[in-house]
Amino acid sequence: MAAPLELSCWGGGWGLPSVHSESLVVMAYAKFSGAPLKVIVIDGTWRGSRGDVPILTTEDNIVSQPAKILNFLRKQKYNADYELSAKQGADTLAYIALLEEKLLPAVLHTFWVETDNYFTVTKPWFASRIPFPLSLILPGRMSKGALNRILLTRGQPPLYHLREVEAQIYKDAKECLNLLSNRLGTSQFFFGDTPSTLDAYVFGFLAPLYKVQFPKIQLQKHLKQLSNLCRFCDDILNSYFRLSLGGLSPAGQETVDANLQKLTQLVNKESNLIEKMDDNLRQSPQLPPRKLPTLKLTPAEEESNSFQRLSP
Amino acid sequence: MSLVAEAFVSQIAATEPWPENATLYQQLKGEQILLSDNAASLAVQAFLQMCNLPVKVVCRANAEYMSPSGKVPFIHVGNQVVSELGPIVQFVKAKGHSLSDGLDEVQKAEMKAYMELVNNMLLTAELYLQWCDEATVGEVLEDVDQCCQALSQRLGTQPYFFNKQPTELDALVFGHLYTILTTQLTNDELSEKVKNYSNLLAFCRRIEQHYFEDRGKGRLS
Repeated sequence: MAAPLELSCWGGGWGLPSVHSESLVVMAYAKFSGAPLKVIVIDGTWRGSRGDVPILTTEDNIVSQPAKILNFLRKQKYNADYELSAKQGADTLAYIALLEEKLLPAVLHTFWVETDNYFTVTKPWFASRIPFPLSLILPGRMSKGALNRILLTRGQPPLYHLREVEAQIYKDAKECLNLLSNRLGTSQFFFGDTPSTLDAYVFGFLAPLYKVQFPKIQLQKHLKQLSNLCRFCDDILNSYFRLSLGGLSPAGQETVDANLQKLTQLVNKESNLIEKMDDNLRQSPQLPPRKLPTLKLTPAEEESNSFQRLSP
Repeated sequence: MSLVAEAFVSQIAATEPWPENATLYQQLKGEQILLSDNAASLAVQAFLQMCNLPVKVVCRANAEYMSPSGKVPFIHVGNQVVSELGPIVQFVKAKGHSLSDGLDEVQKAEMKAYMELVNNMLLTAELYLQWCDEATVGEVLEDVDQCCQALSQRLGTQPYFFNKQPTELDALVFGHLYTILTTQLTNDELSEKVKNYSNLLAFCRRIEQHYFEDRGKGRLS
């Protein structure tokens, strides 16, 4: 194929290949579309541009921002959406808008603005991966950037107090999660059996919220009650990222939720079967992209796993 | 409106029927009203018409200052004042009128998603065109085109976005598209983008005819 594609992005933790939503979106899309990405994780020696990550580099191009990177990959024939109808393509755009307007502000707030979370988790995590002396400046800058993004989305004048906005953005985010859960239902992915751009975006936005251990977790609690969304994230992690999971942070391993553990074990059993089928597919001639067989939950599992719908 | 106020308004709203003298306030037409505000006002008007709730439109130069949230349009119903499409939809719902009750959960999710898309792309474009006139308009136009393409595909050959009955999504899309098509701007590129999609044009015409002309309101100026 073409020259190697390199993706610079923030690293992983808590069982995720990356804790950064935008990086995750691109990584997931690459897996879904079969794009051979070489992932370069930002660590203490990184000298890239500031806060622009994820960035895709090829021989002659540098592309930033998830939407642009995905467009670029599609032009290189790595297209996860080629089976979608025109209407589904339109729906994808609409749902991404929903995610960005209704969910993202609260996710940004949870990571970067909520004081307990920011100072005990987010800031130390990012600072430890940025070379000194940038480690002293960049996290703060990212935090301010997040705050601005939140206030901008809300369309409020800059004079408005954050507290008033906070309640609204969490309410919107919870409603958005409910909507996503309703839309997904019992399907494997948002448009049937194969993952597409929308799945990459939902996964990218949801997974960090789902997995990262925070002191203040109201939104995470809400998400964990929507079991089909949790199953969605776990399925993708297990099917597409299992082999490249670096270290599970010790904190993550200790505090794994009991239900989640049960589900993971069941999924792992299934994935042995998938691995065998996957090997067969690898031997066969190259066809973009590969269809993974649907993960079917066993009947007993299905009963105990009936998700409770929250009324919005 | 804060969450507490919202809940309070809903409760009071439920108790009284829709009065004859409900009024919608917006800025003066022509010079004063902004593109984006005009779209918002049209959307609310279309929505109320679709719900069969009569409202009188009043233009005031100080409409923004009259509004409780500073945003226009706002409606004055009984002794309550509610601004912006979202809260107005809620308020109307509390009074027992809704356009989206017939939709299932998945359709409701879709409707909300498309409303965000419209807010995201069309509103941004309108705001951009109002305030800046420069060369980077190219990217904005591309977004508008993408949005229109999505809306056009979603609408297909149906009369409304969720087939036979209009919803708040139809009202919102109408408000924006109609405004873009009919407002005189320094450049026509924005309305040209919309005109590329014949089903969207037909959609606007249909709503204008059915909800504004036929009701004896006369053509929208």
